[in-house]
Amino acid sequence: MTQNGTAVRLTGVRKTFGAHTAVDDLDLTIEPGTIYGLLGPNGSGKTTTIRMMMGILLPDSGRVELFGGPPDFERRSRVGYLPEERGVYEKMKVLDQLVFFGEIRGVARSLARTRAEEWLERLGLSEWASKKVQTLSKGMQQKVQFISTVLHDPELLILDEPFSGLDPINQDVLEEIVLEEKERGKTILFSTHLMEQAERLCERVCLISRARKVLDDDLKELKRRERTGVVAVEFDGEAPRIAWPEVLEVEQVGAAFHLSLHDGVSPEEILGAVLAEGVSLRRFELLEPRLHEIFVRHAGDPGDDDSAQPAGGAS
Amino acid sequence: MKQVWSVIRREYVERVKTRAFILSTLGMPLLMIGIMAVVGFVGFLSEQSERQIVLVDQSGQLGERVQQALDQAGYDVELAAPGTAIEELDQQVLDEELEAYILLDDATASEAVFHYRAKEPPGSVRSQLMRAAIVEEVVDLRLGQMEDGEAVRRLFEGGSLEYEPVGLDEAEAEEAEAERISGMITGIAGGLILYIMMLAYGAQTLQSVLEEKQSRVVELVISSLRPWQLMLGKIVGVGAVGLTQVAIWIGCVALLAGLALPGLISAAPDLEELGQVRQYLPGPGAIVLLLVFFLLGYFLYSSLFAAVGAMCKNLQEAGQAQTPLIIVIIVPFMMQMMTFQGNNMPWMNWVALFPFFSPIMMYPRAVMGDVPAWMVALSIVLMALTVWGAAWVAGRIYKVGILSQGNRPNLRELLRWIREA
Repeated sequence: MTQNGTAVRLTGVRKTFGAHTAVDDLDLTIEPGTIYGLLGPNGSGKTTTIRMMMGILLPDSGRVELFGGPPDFERRSRVGYLPEERGVYEKMKVLDQLVFFGEIRGVARSLARTRAEEWLERLGLSEWASKKVQTLSKGMQQKVQFISTVLHDPELLILDEPFSGLDPINQDVLEEIVLEEKERGKTILFSTHLMEQAERLCERVCLISRARKVLDDDLKELKRRERTGVVAVEFDGEAPRIAWPEVLEVEQVGAAFHLSLHDGVSPEEILGAVLAEGVSLRRFELLEPRLHEIFVRHAGDPGDDDSAQPAGGAS
Repeated sequence: MKQVWSVIRREYVERVKTRAFILSTLGMPLLMIGIMAVVGFVGFLSEQSERQIVLVDQSGQLGERVQQALDQAGYDVELAAPGTAIEELDQQVLDEELEAYILLDDATASEAVFHYRAKEPPGSVRSQLMRAAIVEEVVDLRLGQMEDGEAVRRLFEGGSLEYEPVGLDEAEAEEAEAERISGMITGIAGGLILYIMMLAYGAQTLQSVLEEKQSRVVELVISSLRPWQLMLGKIVGVGAVGLTQVAIWIGCVALLAGLALPGLISAAPDLEELGQVRQYLPGPGAIVLLLVFFLLGYFLYSSLFAAVGAMCKNLQEAGQAQTPLIIVIIVPFMMQMMTFQGNNMPWMNWVALFPFFSPIMMYPRAVMGDVPAWMVALSIVLMALTVWGAAWVAGRIYKVGILSQGNRPNLRELLRWIREA
């Protein structure tokens, strides 16, 4: 799949609902062929941002571009969109529903049927094909909806909280599919408030909080820059008394000791000091900050961002 | 355009498959037959007297005649031997050996006043039937005693209007009469069908729109389809379901008249009169006209219903918001009922030109021959123009409405939607 230019670009986008500002002056660029994570707590403006990308909401100001142009009908049809609110035709049979969505996205009826059957097989839903959607559990409905998102083999997947509501096994299946789609050259944007998921999948993340962008960077780069100078050490047998001057603080975490180092102390220096004790070392690791910590550092505790949403607003 | 077909097919298939559709399609005719059967049967049942009824004739001239008449009305009546003591019969009633007895005396012979003696009053069916039978016998008796009895009897029967068509021979006149009755039947049935279809299928369009909006499926559909395509597909799909239903009904009537009726008549020659029903059935012209009025009326209303569905949040809200539309459908139906009852005033023909009233008011007038052809043609043109305008307005409301999750817009906001969509 050849793609020229960016998959998605937002420039100075702003959206308000009454007195509430849902998205404020957001710039964002998604390069083709990457997995991009839109992160933030509930109510931070992720869904509103995505809905603007899909042309469901119009920004008050700023510009939204898909594939280098306005998110018009033609461009939107190259996107597979999984909304946060799972919309399904409850009374339709699973397969009929998938074929219908395939068809309105321009896939021939017979091809849509074949693909839908393959996907159902893959996600373990084959025996539900001729059941009404309303008889399925929430998680199964979500998988059905995911299938309808990818059935027309779109270039860009926009997934709004795709993992929420799935059990761990199905989360793994979905992660696998996302990675596979990337291998096939697709661009994937997903939003989540689960940092672990983003940490495993994303190449680039954008953190938003209270309608504003906090961080937008390559994930590896971000972690390297945010490295805090904490090393974890674990010993075989008796641990020595830890009283090296280079160490600012010690915290025992299970069998390991997390050592915060003074500014300017390199990990190599402390390694030397540890080895000089003549103990047998089982583990020595330079700890990278978790995404969650980075987020907290930049935006405060993500837990406290849940302000009430006005009607028409979206998280 | 292929996508519109997908929407139409989904809308059609999903609806035709529902139990509600199958039940209402079969149910409507069955219900009508059933109601008639039940009414007849209940009347019949209640008149199956378990105990005996005795007739006592003190007038000396009515006994046998009345017995025969009551017999024909379905009562098993025993004529008491002359001189039977009333006290004895009363005792039998009290002992519940006898349900009731009827006492005919001189007053009966002169004024048809008779006595019904029982522990419980007669039911309304019974009192009607008995009174009718006895009155007829008394009138018969009295008229038989008069010289010009026959003439008075005809007078009682309400006289007669003898229509003498000028310039038509007898056969032509009969044909014209059949045509008039046929127009009447077609007009009433057609008006009724149009009324039911506009209301029922208009409401279904609204529901369908609202369901998609509430479940937010519409946000998915709209990323692949333009709003007007979705709306068009919906309206056509739901309308096709309505047409299917009407076609099934009309087909059943045609089948009944064309196949079942001749068979029935050849099997039971006494029912030959039923064969006349066939000459009153509508011709193809009336059916085509019905189709035209159905399509125009349905598109007019359902596009507006779709717009109402798109601007509401839930069914309760929609229930309120659709009131003006419902009124615009019910008012012409009421006026049409007046017309059917024979109160057609010329000014109503002009009211029938009002496009929102035309389907229900103009169609019956057209098939009954109450209005000149140019008026029918004009109303079709006016309706077509209105459909075009309504679809334009509704399409714009729909486009904004289906994606808006806020409160129902007031009139000013609605105008803004229409302007800016």
